[in-house]
Amino acid sequence: MSVTEKSLQEKQAWEPLIVAFCCNWCSYAGGDLAGTSRMPYPANIRVIRVPCSSRVNPMMVLRAFQRGADGVLVAGCHPGDCHYTSGNYYTRRRMSVFRRLLEYTGIEPERFQVTWISGSEGAKFAQVMNRVTEEVRALGPNRKLRDAR
Amino acid sequence: MKPTVDKLKEIAAETLVGKKAELILGWQKGSFWWQSFPAFIEKQEELDSLTWDPFCVANLSIYLLEELKRKKKVALFVKGCDALAINRLLQDKCIEREQVLLYGLPCKGMADRAKIEAAVGEELSIREVRRDGDEFIVLTDNGEQHLDASNYLLDKCLSCRYPNPIVYDQLLAQEIDTFPVKERFQSVVKLENSTFEERYLYWSGHFNRCLRCFACRNVCPACNCRECIFDQNEPRWLGKANILSENQFCHLIRAYHVAGRCIDCGECQRVCPMDIPLQELNRKLIKDLNELYGDYDAGTDPEEPQPLGTFKLDDPASFSES
Repeated sequence: MSVTEKSLQEKQAWEPLIVAFCCNWCSYAGGDLAGTSRMPYPANIRVIRVPCSSRVNPMMVLRAFQRGADGVLVAGCHPGDCHYTSGNYYTRRRMSVFRRLLEYTGIEPERFQVTWISGSEGAKFAQVMNRVTEEVRALGPNRKLRDAR
Repeated sequence: MKPTVDKLKEIAAETLVGKKAELILGWQKGSFWWQSFPAFIEKQEELDSLTWDPFCVANLSIYLLEELKRKKKVALFVKGCDALAINRLLQDKCIEREQVLLYGLPCKGMADRAKIEAAVGEELSIREVRRDGDEFIVLTDNGEQHLDASNYLLDKCLSCRYPNPIVYDQLLAQEIDTFPVKERFQSVVKLENSTFEERYLYWSGHFNRCLRCFACRNVCPACNCRECIFDQNEPRWLGKANILSENQFCHLIRAYHVAGRCIDCGECQRVCPMDIPLQELNRKLIKDLNELYGDYDAGTDPEEPQPLGTFKLDDPASFSES
């Protein structure tokens, strides 16, 4: 195999794309800490900063899947620590139900994950991102929800 | 005592003469024997068109949203499932209790046109279908046929939990005894136990056929937003292309937007021209909310907070919280 062929093949090799909605006050700060602490996590993650995890609605999640995400992660403050006192309690109910609904229509639950990461948990941020990337990689590309146009 | 058309007409006349309401919502016959359309009656001479037969399945409460913009008080007939819809609108603060005059009609279930046609087998000559006790009497050109009503009900009526209206101003007939019904989560559990691939094929097969006519939304008493997210142009959440991914988006979001508010009346599935089993989506959400956050029966109490509008500190989650 020539060098060009090999590099072409490498380019075409599939890499999972994961959209992570991170709350501004905890999970995004956790990501910052992971960065400043030089903790590596995969480049497959695309972080979208949201004011609160309860800002994320199911339409955003589905839109991410439609436009090419292979996995979606919603990360917020631990219950009890929400900057707006109760946002993540609503997230917990909403996303629990939505996750089960996706599962019901045949979407593997590993593709849509929810987690709590505080601002001091840089290590957990890196670890979660690694875990989610590997789980989605094992599932392969998202073909079920993707906009095929 | 069963409610009769005469009783309906009598009470409607009384309402109009006594100026108890500006408008009466009822049903009238359409062109065919299986059609009973909503009737909007404002004048006494229109009263004759009122009907009450096994096809008066349309839920009239959804029309209140439009009518109450111009009218102060509207009277309407409510069956058991319609009464839940009234509570739905009250809970969503779409209407006020004083704006409506409710005439309750206990209902033993509505007839399914297709099932009757299949049994009688002579579609063109059916003239009328009446209910008499536990029988449907089918009038055809070749005489009468008596059918056991329980075999010819709409599917949604087979799992009816509220045959008697739970909110009304006046009940037009005696309350009927509750009857044994089909367990409503049966098909949901069956689907839950199949594999991911099977479920995906099942649902994508159904979603693929969707025409995006939005009948399911328009008929739904829980879909009462002034501007639906599906109609919005900016941001345009739902694209116009009729492709699987947009259809999936449409149906998952429709079901999710009524989660915890769906009264499980089954109208969405009944009006679907493509026979998409929408109630199985709604019921999955009802079942999950009950399992995770405690039993809740939407439409029974307009004061109780809805499961997705409240929380507890020790709620369980369907994802790992560690």
